[in-house]
Amino acid sequence: MKHPTATRGDRTTLVQTSRLAKHYGSSKALENLDLTIEPGIIGLAGANGAGKSTLIKILLGIIKPTSGNAKMMGLDIDTRGTDLRQQVGYMPEHDCLALDMTATEFVGHMAEMSGLPGNAARERTAEILRHVGLFEARYRQMAGYSTGMRQRVKLAQALVHDPDFVLLDEPTNGLDPEGRDEMLDLIKRTGTKFGISVLMATHLLGEIERVCDHLVILDAGNLVHQGSLAGFTSSTETLEVEVEGDAALLATKLTALGLEATADRSHVLIATDGHAPYATIRDTIVDLDLRLVRMKQRRHMLEELFRSPAQEVSIPEPVSSEQVSD
Amino acid sequence: MTETPSLQQQPPGLTESPAGSIYDLGYQRYEGVRLGRRHAIWALYRASLRAAFGFGRRTAAKIAPFALVVVALGPALLQLIIAAFTGDEMKLFNHEDYYELISLVLAIYVAAIAPDIVGRDQNNRTLTLYFTRAISRADYVLAKFLALVSAMLLITLVPQLVLFSANGLVASSFADYLRDEADLLLPIVGTALLGSALIASIGAAIAAQTPQRAFATVGIIATFLLTSVIAGALVSSIDSVYARLAIYLSPAALVEGLTSWMFVVEPNEGSLIPTANFELYTYALAAMVVTVACYLLLLRRYKAVQA
Repeated sequence: MKHPTATRGDRTTLVQTSRLAKHYGSSKALENLDLTIEPGIIGLAGANGAGKSTLIKILLGIIKPTSGNAKMMGLDIDTRGTDLRQQVGYMPEHDCLALDMTATEFVGHMAEMSGLPGNAARERTAEILRHVGLFEARYRQMAGYSTGMRQRVKLAQALVHDPDFVLLDEPTNGLDPEGRDEMLDLIKRTGTKFGISVLMATHLLGEIERVCDHLVILDAGNLVHQGSLAGFTSSTETLEVEVEGDAALLATKLTALGLEATADRSHVLIATDGHAPYATIRDTIVDLDLRLVRMKQRRHMLEELFRSPAQEVSIPEPVSSEQVSD
Repeated sequence: MTETPSLQQQPPGLTESPAGSIYDLGYQRYEGVRLGRRHAIWALYRASLRAAFGFGRRTAAKIAPFALVVVALGPALLQLIIAAFTGDEMKLFNHEDYYELISLVLAIYVAAIAPDIVGRDQNNRTLTLYFTRAISRADYVLAKFLALVSAMLLITLVPQLVLFSANGLVASSFADYLRDEADLLLPIVGTALLGSALIASIGAAIAAQTPQRAFATVGIIATFLLTSVIAGALVSSIDSVYARLAIYLSPAALVEGLTSWMFVVEPNEGSLIPTANFELYTYALAAMVVTVACYLLLLRRYKAVQA
């Protein structure tokens, strides 16, 4: 539910990258990435070092790609950087607040840094701090804030200038479960009620399932999957059937009946497209004279897209400024 | 996501939440103007200057800069008080001697303020937020440099103008004084600008190399003192033109030389300037060269720094 606004860049395509690559020496943080992202709430998933932060930082112009190019909202990130950054917000993963300032001063200053006139900056600061639940604490020095409150200021400074698009890097980092829930609700509302497109990078798949309507998965700098979240989860749902008796026989029988079934010790895993053939499975179990222990939906489908931890390629973050300069 | 429509109807404030919970009071999109880069640079300039003097921060942050401003203003204020109360035509000192008088204060002042203006954002990692907003890295450097130069002007130009007014009050007629001495204004402003830019650029270039405030402060003071000592030793003890060139290493000597040149006066007998025996305008040139070099160094640092 986007409110129509005039001349805010090309609103049809949020991000478009073309053979975008970033190499640090011999390690490749991103490899020839071709990506097109439409407006919405997009989850950017991947293990640590998959290239999520690198992609976000390249889009925002804080690191330069080794090769390739990219556009955000129709504007070239290289040539139109300062223009397009008036229309985007960014919440970094790391601490970034001047803790000896009050939230009001800090967020107000950041609003002006995005081009808002002084009065508008003050009004919007009060407004956004209320939205993130910091209205009462807004005149207090941020040094006294909890982690949760600091994360909210980080979100507030990304939203204060009413961007068309916010990029959030691990927004629930360091939060307790309650703080995590509130942050995710806030992000969901940013996308659905505020009408701001969101790109949320996280390694926690549950967060993406809760908040996002679109999914982009990176692994070792490569695009692994992209699509709508609804389509993705339903097409990869798995039914887990636990039996007492010969699970392998059940799997063979079900496969013969045209199902995609594999045995795993006492379990049989059956791929479904959202409509599990419960009757077929029940009848087969009865025919084979097995005892059914339980059937349940498996909800860890997203994880299956990642390699096992042993195979994970970790990409070293740049440790010194010199590495970034060249 | 529970939405309570009635909640949205209420004016903000009535549904104030206890800290922690979040209510949806309806989101307003911003349809006003976006002023872009120039406004952002101006905002950064103002905020940096404010922060340098501790506005919006704890009291302790205000003490050092203000104390130094008072110290730098001291001689000029003293002259003003003498003028106001005695009306004597007594001049404690001249414009051209002022920077020599406060040269140590200049160094300590820039060492106190430069880390605030250029180092703090690195320390807080706020740099990331700046570089992802409506400015470029070069814009950031410009705003920071101008903020530091402005802070310097407070202890270079302002005391000089106070002194000028004080001398005017001492004179039998202020109007006559203004007419007779108006040609002092050009060197007053000129030396203040060149000297402030020189000292600011050196301070900023050093402070930008480290997010650690203490290192930056010590580094700046050490640079000013050591260059002075090295220049002094080389110029006065070795009789060679190459050794005498070392005088251009010392920011204090550059300020002194360019001040003598702009006010068209002989340099002080005891100073290094007569010993080095170079044309006075070369100090102004050297000051500009050093300023530009330090500014380029700053640009280079911020181009490379990880945000």
